[in-house]
Amino acid sequence: MAAGVAAWLPFARAAAIGWMPVASAPMPPPPRDKRRGQDGLIILNVSGTRFQTWRNTLERYPDTLLGSTERDFFFHEETNEYFFDRDPDIFRHILNFYRTGKLHYPRHECISAYDEELAFFGIIPEIIGDCCYEEYKDRRRENAERIQDDEENDNNNDMVLPDMSFRESMWRAFENPHTSTMALVFYYVTGFFIAVSVMANVVETVPCVGGPNRAKEISCGERYSLAFFCLDTACVMIFTVEYLLRLIAAPSRYKFVKSVMSIIDVVAIMPYYIGLVMTDNEDVSGAFVTLRVFRVFRIFKFSRHSAGLRILGYTLKSCASELGFLLFSLTMAIIIFATVMFYAEKGSSASKFTSIPAAFWYTIVTMTTLGYGDMVPKTIMGKIFGSICSLSGVLVIALPVPVIVSNFSRIYHQSQRAEKRRAQKKTRLARIRAAKSGGANAYLQYKRNGMLADAEEEASKQAGQALVCKSNPTFETQHHHLLHCLEKTTNHEFVDEQTYETSCMEVSLAKPSMSRSSSLSSSPHGLSSCCTRRNKRKSFNVPNSNMTAGRRGSIQELSTIQIRERPLSNSRSSLNAKFEETVPLNSEEQSYITAAVISMPTPPVTTPEGGDSASSHDFLQSNIVRVSAL
Amino acid sequence: MGVVLGTFSMHTKQVTFRADKIDDELEMTMVCHRPEGLEQLEAQTNFTKQELQVLYRGFKNECPSGVVNEETFKHIYAQFFPHGDASTYAHYLFNAFDTRNNGSIKFEDFVMGLSTLLRGTVRDKLEWTFHLYDINRDGLINKEEMTEIVRAIYDMMGKYTYPALKGDVPKQHVDAFFEKMDKNKDGVVTLEEFVLACQEDENMMRSMQLFENVM
Repeated sequence: MAAGVAAWLPFARAAAIGWMPVASAPMPPPPRDKRRGQDGLIILNVSGTRFQTWRNTLERYPDTLLGSTERDFFFHEETNEYFFDRDPDIFRHILNFYRTGKLHYPRHECISAYDEELAFFGIIPEIIGDCCYEEYKDRRRENAERIQDDEENDNNNDMVLPDMSFRESMWRAFENPHTSTMALVFYYVTGFFIAVSVMANVVETVPCVGGPNRAKEISCGERYSLAFFCLDTACVMIFTVEYLLRLIAAPSRYKFVKSVMSIIDVVAIMPYYIGLVMTDNEDVSGAFVTLRVFRVFRIFKFSRHSAGLRILGYTLKSCASELGFLLFSLTMAIIIFATVMFYAEKGSSASKFTSIPAAFWYTIVTMTTLGYGDMVPKTIMGKIFGSICSLSGVLVIALPVPVIVSNFSRIYHQSQRAEKRRAQKKTRLARIRAAKSGGANAYLQYKRNGMLADAEEEASKQAGQALVCKSNPTFETQHHHLLHCLEKTTNHEFVDEQTYETSCMEVSLAKPSMSRSSSLSSSPHGLSSCCTRRNKRKSFNVPNSNMTAGRRGSIQELSTIQIRERPLSNSRSSLNAKFEETVPLNSEEQSYITAAVISMPTPPVTTPEGGDSASSHDFLQSNIVRVSAL
Repeated sequence: MGVVLGTFSMHTKQVTFRADKIDDELEMTMVCHRPEGLEQLEAQTNFTKQELQVLYRGFKNECPSGVVNEETFKHIYAQFFPHGDASTYAHYLFNAFDTRNNGSIKFEDFVMGLSTLLRGTVRDKLEWTFHLYDINRDGLINKEEMTEIVRAIYDMMGKYTYPALKGDVPKQHVDAFFEKMDKNKDGVVTLEEFVLACQEDENMMRSMQLFENVM
């Protein structure tokens, strides 16, 4: 709860007068004010800088250093102030937290210094306000990553662990070439051969001057075909060996085969093997030539050597939808202008615009401002529309480039921010929920601790417990008293979720058991059933639960389950007593009272009508079962 | 063509942007209210100077602008009852404190209300409570109003209660209330009936004294 509203507690308590006429039960007595201390000023001297605040301000958060008695350790008698040998600049923010209930993170401060101060003053960083939380988490993560990077670099420079298998070390060599000299050598050798192979592909098409006895020019590839063939063979052998080695070393072969890089590898070396297999047949040689085009894919093998290529590939992949839309809108424009141009130029003689698809070429060339000039409009209308086409082409082509760039940066930053927010959202929601349930649970805890005992009992226990019980701050006790008044007004009690569900179960159980009361003489509460069965039971008892009716035979199956009574109100204290004395539980644990959760998937009300043990067996097996003691 | 459409859409965007700017300028002039002097308040209420100081510091901390509107009020009140939904009851409370019915509570209203509740006579307290229940301010409490109030109180309990809240519990509560308060059985409770019935109830009188030393 925000401490700011602590000041409004008197108002909330005063407003409780509105419940009085409606209340069905008398109100509990108010808590005694333990310390009617003066609301005086406290002087906090932090390394020479004096801060002053009200005592009550600090005591809003009793689980921190300044709000608890821990600050007495820092009290300086001679100057009658509290002295802290810490950073005054950061202390300013900590003190503001007490004043406003919100903790802010100053951006110019070092994250680790700030964390240290928070730890010293006992403040958990999770309560940083939403305005500064993102920044704080970012800085923290960066810091942690930096530390982690440093550690990783140290680790990588270590010698190979002796217990790493050969396969693992080989994979590591492939993935991180910097780890060993062998890996580096291999890395450079493959890089060299990729370059050689690509160069060979390029050079082999260059026309060489033929031998002195030849007049016409032929390509170098045909002239020195043997040399090129040997070179190609060598490169492909190297690539094959590399691929096989990677395949052997990969930790997950299936994943490796599916990866993009391995597909590129395969495509790069396939044409050669297919060429070997295929005979020098006339009809397939055409296809074979086409296959050689795929040799150019060897250039993509460079992406293992260059991180930039990989990033580019990822960018294109992530911008794929934007690019697709762009292409679509371009196609629309092309079709429109091509149609217009075709019909405009239809009249002119010897027009090159023979059909709309033929006009596509003109439109593309004009829109991209290439203007080859192989197709030009001759009619006036054609020229008008042609100029409109080229003008709009400038716009249409100029727009996509910043769109792609901005899309890229937007997508990149957005995914980063979305991930951050998703991670923080979970924690933020958890914080809010925890704070809320913390407030709710605090009250239930308070009740269980028996602090709401009668005045007489309290007085007698006061002496004994004064030293033992934690000194609850006045605010908390008063707040709990207020909630207690609300309970008394409505004659209902606050409980937690599990107990509520259990009691709901019971209510639904209680009804049908009455119809089966003939089979066993037990009251709906199972009170007497608990007692009558004590001799037959050697394992457990399920008080208040009527599901045991009619299932005596299968009770043994439940022998491993222990059910413990939960702390209900006084009307059940008699049951508690009986339970304790009658049940010899199977386990060695004492039958002390704790809250238990009996969760049953379906209300067991309908099945055992026939009463046959078979159905009840099935029913039991399917239903029972999850008992968790809190 | 797409370019033409694009320029049209951009134009409309500009218009809305201009409208937003005007709103922003209005918001800059925030409402800020200062209460009357400490001496005057001390004379008007039954609080001492120190108590007024403490009250004002808390008030100003939560509402720096000097007035509380209903949203803030509901938010503050909800912090005290995390189990359930306190907004309905907070709404009625707000109306009870907002004596001038202008949708906001100044510090003076706040302190006057508190003075009645904490330092007033029994009769004052009962009158204040009566006005809290009398939602439509017609001087009578009928069954509908009472049902509203009781339902609002039960809403604050939330879902997880023991015994589990059934649908007709508020109604039974209201019937019990009318049983006790409505002397002439005419279906409505007047101020006099209310005060008389409350003064006869020992428990209630004792409960009302409980909150004397809240400050």
